Amino acid sequence: MSNSTIVPPTTDVPPDSKLKTQNSKLAVLGGSIFPYLLILPTFIFIAAFTFWPTIYAAIQSTIRQPRTVRQQAEFVGLKNYFDLFDENTVIGQADNFPRIFANTIVFVAVTVPVCLILSFLLALLLNQKLRATALYRTGIFYPVLLPLISAASVWAFFFADNFGLLNTLLRTIGVSPLGWTRDPNLALFSIMLVVIWKQTGFYMIFYLSAMQNLPSDIYEAAALDGANAIQRMLRLTVPLLNGTTLFVLVIAGVAHFQTADPLYVLGQGQPNNRSNLILYYIFQRYDEPKDLGYVYAMTILLLGLLLLFTIANFLFLERRGNYEE
Amino acid sequence: MKNDAMIMNRKRFRWDKLGLNIVLAIVSIIWLAPLIMTILLSVRPKKDSIGTGNIFFGSGFTLDNFQGAFDAVPWGTYYVTTLLFVFGLLFIQIVTITLAGYAFARLKFFGRDFIFLLMLIQIMIPSSVLLIPNFTTVRSLNLYDTKIALMLPYIGSAFGTFLMRQTFRQIPRDLEDAAKIDGCNWLGLLQNVYIPSSTSAYIAFALASVSAHWNEFLWPLIITTSDDNRVLTVGLSQIVRTSEVGAQYGQISAGTLIVVAPLLLLFLIFQRQFINSFLRSGLK
Repeated sequence: MSNSTIVPPTTDVPPDSKLKTQNSKLAVLGGSIFPYLLILPTFIFIAAFTFWPTIYAAIQSTIRQPRTVRQQAEFVGLKNYFDLFDENTVIGQADNFPRIFANTIVFVAVTVPVCLILSFLLALLLNQKLRATALYRTGIFYPVLLPLISAASVWAFFFADNFGLLNTLLRTIGVSPLGWTRDPNLALFSIMLVVIWKQTGFYMIFYLSAMQNLPSDIYEAAALDGANAIQRMLRLTVPLLNGTTLFVLVIAGVAHFQTADPLYVLGQGQPNNRSNLILYYIFQRYDEPKDLGYVYAMTILLLGLLLLFTIANFLFLERRGNYEE
Repeated sequence: MKNDAMIMNRKRFRWDKLGLNIVLAIVSIIWLAPLIMTILLSVRPKKDSIGTGNIFFGSGFTLDNFQGAFDAVPWGTYYVTTLLFVFGLLFIQIVTITLAGYAFARLKFFGRDFIFLLMLIQIMIPSSVLLIPNFTTVRSLNLYDTKIALMLPYIGSAFGTFLMRQTFRQIPRDLEDAAKIDGCNWLGLLQNVYIPSSTSAYIAFALASVSAHWNEFLWPLIITTSDDNRVLTVGLSQIVRTSEVGAQYGQISAGTLIVVAPLLLLFLIFQRQFINSFLRSGLK
């Protein structure tokens, strides 16, 4: 997969007996805590900033923070979760959390497949060994390195009302300009464009590297049997790359579920939460103490979505079988 | 006959390539358009182009926008903070993942595999989702608005530990045994055997870590408030937000370039290493 300065694979020979006795002597002498000391720094930080916050959020999500000074925080079980989808509560009104939740699902359901197909096709083209391949690859890959926040501010010029490039193009062909980030029906779509533009190159390199490792003899055999390019792509390349697809699907899904940064620059979820997404909404709410129970419930909900997505992909693609190793 | 077929074949081949080149060139231009537009906007005078859509053939060239962007935001401070954050974090990560990776790769201890799997759960739980509970933790540790706070959620790296464990396991035991006979203790082993044989893994990890954290935004935004502790992405977001897009377009594009230039330049120079690094990590 990558350049290896690493030595050839080892035959894991059991250490000879002399060393073994030395090791066991060490073990007696407190060698038993030594390994734990080595992993301790990593473990403490993972525990404190991954495990603990998850548990803490789960606990806090069952607590209703006081609405007035006289009230006390109380245990409400799963009520915070139900409230998020209850139209009789402020947060559960149709244009509030339910819409944001639906937006997030739609956002992932659109951007992930689009990125996947685009990155696959682009990798297929780039894999044809053209002289300018490196140039094209760089041109498509570079947004991966941009911070999402600057990617979004770059796109702000594209979407701008007057001088924005997209509206300029529309005017040239005689179509009236659009409010890319202000139009309720368009705002989420505009965010999708930014994320697709930024992420496609990232997924592309995984396909590209996998394609470079495909055995060429199968293709020669298929060509001899009269399979055309499209048949070869659908019958050979796609199934052979199932493993890569699973990998890309999981990392893309996980990344896209967490989209928030571009919203800070592009529309802030407006109008009316039409372009809002869960993580950005969490960020918008965290400053209001009375809503903390909801914020934690949303945090757990988002984590649940991520895990569900990952596990579902593994189960689904594993059952279809036939991926590398 | 055979020759004819070969010539035909070659001819068709070239048409294919031309078509491919055209498609890829168009896609690349579309992909590059936002960057090209940003660069053009950043060197156009303020009075130019706004409302006319004429940025491509605008009237003049100016560096005023960069001047303006430098006056509006303390980029120098933000740069220092970003560098401290990114490289300080990388240094701590490299130390911790080396130690943990070595323990998981080569030492035997009770519960090793269980602890390892437990730690790997972190790969599935992205820290950006834990934004708010981590914020609470940092506040209660009295570390709000410090440079340490920026790093805290990212120090423990399950991915890095995993990568080092895999890398160390590929190093032949014989090397370790030989070094042991020469009287190396565990630190000597790491210094003389394990670390030098794993440079490509360290480079992969470093590039992935640096580019991921250079781009970090929401966490630095909520955990810091003073200029001294703010990073570049946050600084950029502030000029974008405080000025309406359109009014300060030149400054915003100059600011964007100030933020992205170092990583883009690094990428152009070390392209292959970057791509290998991303291929190896996939995750931050």
